[in-house]
Amino acid sequence: MALKTKISKEDFINIFRKEDDEVLSIGNTKETALKELEKLEIPHKKLEEWRHTSLNKILHHRYRPAEFRSLSKEEVNLFSIPGLDAYRLVFVNGFFITELSNTFDDENKMFILPMHEAKETHKALFEKYFDKSGILASNFFTALNTAYSTNGSFIYFADNFVADKPIHIVNFSDGQSRKTLAQYRNLIIAGKFSKAHIVNTYHSLSLNYTLNNVATEIFVQDGAHLNFNIVQGEGVDAAQLNYTKVIQEDNSNFSMHTTTFCGMLVRNDLKVIQKGSNCETDLNGLYMPDREQHFDNSVFVHHAKSHNNSNQLYKGVIDNKASAVFYGRVLVDRDAQKTNANQLNKNILLTKYAKVNSKPQLEIYADDVACSHGSTTGQIDEEALFYLRARGINRRKAETLLLTAFVSDVIEKIQIEAIKFYVQILVNNRLEGDKKDGQCLMIDECPACD
Amino acid sequence: MSKTLIKIENLHASIEGKEILKGINLEIKEGEVHAIMGPNGSGKSTLSAVLAGRDIYEVTEGKVTFNGKNLLELAPEERSREGIFLAFQYPVEIKGVSIVNFMKAALEQHREHKGLEPLSPAEFLKLMKEKKELVEIDSKLTNRAVNEGFSGGEKKKNEVFQMAMLDPKLAILDETDSGLDIDALRIVANGVNKLRNEHNGFMVITHYQRLLDYIVPDVVHVLYDGRIVKTGGKELAFELEEKGYDWIKQEVEA
Repeated sequence: MALKTKISKEDFINIFRKEDDEVLSIGNTKETALKELEKLEIPHKKLEEWRHTSLNKILHHRYRPAEFRSLSKEEVNLFSIPGLDAYRLVFVNGFFITELSNTFDDENKMFILPMHEAKETHKALFEKYFDKSGILASNFFTALNTAYSTNGSFIYFADNFVADKPIHIVNFSDGQSRKTLAQYRNLIIAGKFSKAHIVNTYHSLSLNYTLNNVATEIFVQDGAHLNFNIVQGEGVDAAQLNYTKVIQEDNSNFSMHTTTFCGMLVRNDLKVIQKGSNCETDLNGLYMPDREQHFDNSVFVHHAKSHNNSNQLYKGVIDNKASAVFYGRVLVDRDAQKTNANQLNKNILLTKYAKVNSKPQLEIYADDVACSHGSTTGQIDEEALFYLRARGINRRKAETLLLTAFVSDVIEKIQIEAIKFYVQILVNNRLEGDKKDGQCLMIDECPACD
Repeated sequence: MSKTLIKIENLHASIEGKEILKGINLEIKEGEVHAIMGPNGSGKSTLSAVLAGRDIYEVTEGKVTFNGKNLLELAPEERSREGIFLAFQYPVEIKGVSIVNFMKAALEQHREHKGLEPLSPAEFLKLMKEKKELVEIDSKLTNRAVNEGFSGGEKKKNEVFQMAMLDPKLAILDETDSGLDIDALRIVANGVNKLRNEHNGFMVITHYQRLLDYIVPDVVHVLYDGRIVKTGGKELAFELEEKGYDWIKQEVEA
C-alpha cells in the first residue's frame, strides 16, 4: 500500500544504520557521504536534470534494507543468456553469491572479485580508486550508496591484459514480500592498453516494490579499450536508479550500451569525463517502456582535452501510457579543440498516450570542433505500413518489421555477440508479444511474471 | 467464356471531402489487359489506391466485386492475399527491412491464407532465384533493404519482382513506366509479359502510349475527371498519343 505522504530524506538515510564493517566505504568516505546527504536534496522536478522524471512513485513507500537470500543454480540458470561464455558474478539484493560466481584473482591478469573481499585483499588498489571519480557528491542517491552500499563487483584488468571472455555481472532483486531498498556498487579499472567487455544484467525474482540504487565507477587508463553493457529487465514494480561515472585517460576507448526493457521507473545517469586527449567514447541505448513505465537516460559527456571523439545514439519505442526521457549533454571545454561529438536520439510513440521528452544539448567553448545533435519523435510511418500491408502482411507483423528495422542499428552496436542476439530476441518477444499482454519481456525466464 | 476478375460499379471516392472518382464502371476478365490512360489529375492513381485499400480515400458510393467478394470490405492485406497486387507509382523506401525478410513475411501470410504450410528456407530461396531470373532483377538488389537507395528503375523492377513472387490474379500497375529509360522499361514490360496468362488480369495505368508498345492491352479506357469517358481497343492509345488529351476534354465538355 502506498503512503499518503512522501518519505523524507531522513527516512531514506535511516533505512540504513549499519556498522562500519558491513558497509563498503573506507576511511572517512562514510562520514563525508553522510555530510553530503545533509546538504543534498532528494532529486525533484525543479532540477533541470530531473525535470521530466518524478520520483513520487518511489517516495510513497516505506522501504526496508534488502536482505540476503540464497539462490539455487536452477534459479540463476533461468536467466542465463544463450551462447554467453563469460566469467560470472552473481548478486542478490547487493549480496554476493559465492557458489554461483567465478572469481579471478591474478595481479598479472585481472581481478574479478566481490568488493568486500577486494577491500581486504587488494587494499592499496581499492583505496586508490574507490570513490575517486567523485561519484559521491553527484546526487542524493550516489551519496547514500557511498555511505551504505552492501557489496558489488571489483574488476581490474592489469596493464596490457586482454580478457579472454566477457565478464557477466548478474544482479537480482527480491523484495521477499516486502518493500526493499538494495544498494549495489561496481568499481571497474581497465589498466593501460588492456581490453575487456563487461555486461551487467538486472532481473527481479519476485513482484515487489523494490528499489535498486546502483553506483558504478569506471576508470579507463591510457590506451585501454573497455566495453560496458547494461541490460535492465526488472519486474514491473521494481525501480532502479543507476549512476555510472567514467573517467577516461589519454588514447582510451570507452563504449557503452544500455538496454532498458522493464521496470516501473528506471533512471540511468551516465557521466563520462574525457580527462585525456585522443579519447573515443561511444554511448548507445535502447529503451522500450510499456504500460505506465517510465525510463530516463541522462547522458553527459565532458570533453576536457583536444582531439576527442564522442558518439551517442539512443533510440526508444514507447508503448501504451509509458513515458521516456532522453537528456543528453555534451560539454566541450575551451581546451578541447578538434573535438568531434555527435548526438542522436530517435523515438517512436506507439499510442497517443505514450510520451517522450528529448533534450539533446551541446555546450561548446572551443572554436575548432565538429559537433552535431539531433532528435526525432514520431509515429510508425503510415506510408511504409500501407506498402507492407499491400503485400499481404498483416498490420501487427508489418509494425513489427518496421520497429525491428528502427531499432536494428542501435542493437547492431552491441559488441558482445551473445548479448546482441539476446537483446534481439527480447525485442522480438516484445514486438510480437501477445504473451501476457506484453507485460514483461523476460516472461519466459522471469519468475516475477509467472 | 472467361470469368470476371473484378467488377467496379459506379465507384465514387473522395479525399478530405473532395470527390476524385465520380462513378467508375469497369470490368476485367481473366486473361485481359486493360490500360487506363488519362491526363494528370484525372483520378488514375486514386483508382489504384482505392482498389488496394489505402484508407486516406473514402469510398462514398458504389461497389467493387473481386473473386465474387466485396472488395471494399477487406483490409489491404486481405486484398493482397485474395490476389490484388498494386505496383506502386512511388515505391516506399523501408530502411532496415531486407527484401528477403519482407517477401518471406508476405509469402508466409499468403500461403497461410490459402491453407498452405510455409515454404522451407531452401524452397523459398529457390523461388526467389526463379523469380529474379524471370524478371531479370540483379541478385544483389534483393539482399538490400526494401527500395533503400534504389534508382527509379530499380524500384520499379523490384515491384515487378514482388509481383512475380506473389503471383496475383489482378495486378494494377500504377504508372510503372514513369521515369524509366527505355532499357528499364523493356525489362519491366518483359517481366509483366512473362507473368501474363489466361487466368490473371492486368490494369495498366499510364499517361503515355509508350508502355503499351511493350504491354499490349486488350482494352483501353480513358479516365477524365473521375469518370471513364471513352473505351476502345489498343488503337485508342495511338489516337491519344497523336492527338493528346485536349481532344478528349473537348469531346467531354461539348
